[in-house]
Amino acid sequence: MIAIIGAGPAGLSAAAAATRRGEEVIIIDSSSQLGGQYWRHLPSARNDSHSLHYDFSKAQKLFDELLSQPLLTRYSNSQVWQAEKCGDQFHLYILRNGVEEKVVADKVILATGAYDRTIPFPGWTFPGVMTPGAAQAMLKGHGVLVGKKVVIAGTGPFILPVATGLAESGAEIVGLFEFNNPFRWIFNLHGLLLNPSRIAEAFYYLKKLQKHRVKIEFGKKVESATRSSAVVDGTEIECDVIAVGWGFAPDVTLAGILGAQLGVDSDGTVIVKVDRRQETNILGLFAAGEATGIGGSTLSMIEGRIAGGGRGGLSRWRAQVFANGLKKVYPVPSILTKNLPEETIICRCEEVTRGQICTSIDELGAQSARTAKLFTRAGMGLCQGRVCGRNVSEIVADHLVQKVSDSERIAGGQRPLAAPISLGELGDGLAKKF
Amino acid sequence: MKSPDAIVIGAGIAGASCALALTNAGLTVLVLDRGPVAGGTTGAGEGNILVSDKDPGPELTLALRSRDLWFDMQSDVGDHFELEAKGGIVVARHDEKPLKDFAAKQRAAGVDVQEVGDRELHELEPFLTPEITSGVFYPQDSQCQPMLAAAHVLRAVRLRGGQVITGATVKAIDTSGGRVQGVQSDKGNFSSPIIINATGTWAGDIATMAGSHLPIAPRKGFILVTAPAPKLIHHKVYDSDYVANVASSDADLQTSTVVEGTRAGTILIGASRERIGFDGRMNVDILRRLAAQATSLFPILRDIQLLRAYRGFRPYAPDHLPVIGEDSLIQGLWHSAGHEGAGIGLAPGSAHLITAQIIGKTPFMDPAPFSPKRFQAGAA
Amino acid sequence: MISFTFNNQKIEAIEGMTIAAAIFSTGEKVLRQTRFGGDDRSIFCGIGICWDCVVTVDGVINQRACLIQVSDGMVVTS
Repeated sequence: MIAIIGAGPAGLSAAAAATRRGEEVIIIDSSSQLGGQYWRHLPSARNDSHSLHYDFSKAQKLFDELLSQPLLTRYSNSQVWQAEKCGDQFHLYILRNGVEEKVVADKVILATGAYDRTIPFPGWTFPGVMTPGAAQAMLKGHGVLVGKKVVIAGTGPFILPVATGLAESGAEIVGLFEFNNPFRWIFNLHGLLLNPSRIAEAFYYLKKLQKHRVKIEFGKKVESATRSSAVVDGTEIECDVIAVGWGFAPDVTLAGILGAQLGVDSDGTVIVKVDRRQETNILGLFAAGEATGIGGSTLSMIEGRIAGGGRGGLSRWRAQVFANGLKKVYPVPSILTKNLPEETIICRCEEVTRGQICTSIDELGAQSARTAKLFTRAGMGLCQGRVCGRNVSEIVADHLVQKVSDSERIAGGQRPLAAPISLGELGDGLAKKF
Repeated sequence: MKSPDAIVIGAGIAGASCALALTNAGLTVLVLDRGPVAGGTTGAGEGNILVSDKDPGPELTLALRSRDLWFDMQSDVGDHFELEAKGGIVVARHDEKPLKDFAAKQRAAGVDVQEVGDRELHELEPFLTPEITSGVFYPQDSQCQPMLAAAHVLRAVRLRGGQVITGATVKAIDTSGGRVQGVQSDKGNFSSPIIINATGTWAGDIATMAGSHLPIAPRKGFILVTAPAPKLIHHKVYDSDYVANVASSDADLQTSTVVEGTRAGTILIGASRERIGFDGRMNVDILRRLAAQATSLFPILRDIQLLRAYRGFRPYAPDHLPVIGEDSLIQGLWHSAGHEGAGIGLAPGSAHLITAQIIGKTPFMDPAPFSPKRFQAGAA
Repeated sequence: MISFTFNNQKIEAIEGMTIAAAIFSTGEKVLRQTRFGGDDRSIFCGIGICWDCVVTVDGVINQRACLIQVSDGMVVTS
């Protein structure tokens, strides 16, 4: 039995490849529907479903195949909170609709995806400031517009579909800002030329945006926010939502818990290290998709297919070249975490400011991000540093005039629990004799 | 500072307390640590300053004095480490006689002990299970945030002329004619006639380096940390098995519960003890047992989420007494180690004992029971 | 349609909606106040990672409004 964790492009492609080979598969996902963050869609009961997504037919084909696949077991609304390797087998402890179950598998494929990477700026904790992913999830998953006048900013190709979706659904896009210059693609042309469908997709969004008279401006970012405006390049723009994202951060928690080797990608994100077959250094533990490096849905699907026992071939190389290009064209400059005002909140959960972090270094002798976190509680809150961890490391290193080491980045990706569990449910596990 | 009056190895709470006591006694002190401040057991502790769990005897005498010295230390360096006399409540689930007998012995030894009945107990802890109808209240039990304590104490040491070098691994301890001369570290060599070994779980390695020996071993403990919650638990609440466990030599895993709230809003559930060397892997079964015990004490915790769990290694000596005093084989080498789970609470008291002996004053109690000699006599 | 209350206000929602989506559809963004600064917070990541949107659901604290689906008669508070 193969357990696949995550039902996005990578996980579904892995499930399809494995079941086609006659393998029994269980796919575990936190959502109630297949598709993951990328192919998030309205429940089928709501008929206005799929018009919001570019080329949804690919996803629909996979859904249709898998939903009628007798070898596939689906665990929806399920989160793996803990995992162990015992002998040759993997023991997965799963909260399924809040109740704990144990699943034993011979092979595990981690397709845990990624989430928006964010960087603090003054005012970023006001209601209405959110990630593009949040705006997208509300729209695609529920048909709810997060606001009427929206500023979208940050970097990366993802801000285009978000702006397009919101504009098509009736929001006024009062500003669309890409920090990096698209001419950077000139130095990575092969990535584009090998993947012409991606150019077509970009033009699809740009055309739609043009229809709504949305102009994309380059080289600008949101400098600060008030409750009702964004300041961009010194100009105040009235708005009720500011969606800012700086690319993505892979979710590697489960890989870390199972002892898989983690590495640091060229964009500084922590990733799961895999071989050509997508296998980690732990025998029988595979990883595919964004968790092994941010590369977009096409590469995720190919990696998923390979992890599921299928073939990759040339398409993998093409998609990989594109993914490498993405990281070069849309870098996140380290200047963003420098020179933030002292009172800027860095850790949203524990409300720790940049000033407090610097004081822990200057006054208390913290010489590393780990110690600074222990002294200030930055990264110790509900999200367990998923949002602020990397930013705290950058701020501490900057203050100490150092560079963040790879080992520190990797340590930042290690967490003892993959999801919270209530103490009642945890204790009840004793009687279940797992 | 190439030749300080004393070198303290270890920037945890034991080392920080020694450094402060020596500095206040007029010595120039250098503190070295291979990691950051509070990077070892201090950084993995709840911050317990307890008298409730100790049998009458030298350790209790030390604990009582040390507890008061904590508040002196707070007056000395400032209210920066969340020190509070929150009080401890020990309850018995089945047979309460051993608990009450233990309390009576402690009262005779000078501990403030108050037996509380059903009504009073549930006034103190409104969410405690109604199944438990009596307990013992120890108002002296206290708590601090140990990492902040070590950091602020060391900050005071620096401001008073001492030096703290973190990230400095001690490679060798120079001795000559059975006396310490100094240390060699990867951040320089330093000479001093006095070296304090406050390296906790690693104290045995430092002793060996100096040509002596000390049987300190690690004992693994887990602490569960919940998501922040409103104030549900007002004291440290133990089931009385905890008291029995501390004094146990059984190598098997034992769990008993300590539940308490913190100022940050998280609830800590602790006290698993397991002696299996330095293997640090998460053990789901221990988490379950601790959770089950905590929720049976406080059913309201069933809906509170576990956020993380961490493990620390408690340094302990075979007789479960701390090792405090001068090495009997190497002159000038002093140890403050092996405090097991009581290192935070006993740190200032231990520092006081060592400092008094170094400067030739009479310590507040006979330090002989803690002397490293008890493990070194045969080898001399 | 089903209905639930958020801070004693009745809100109508389509079945399958998350708490956050249902509240946002009324035009309200503020979901809670922080425990130290008392500052207003809302959804941030929208996918269960950041825990900024936590609310109390039927008495259980720290529940992510962006993940939990509303049910009829649910009582949600900041």
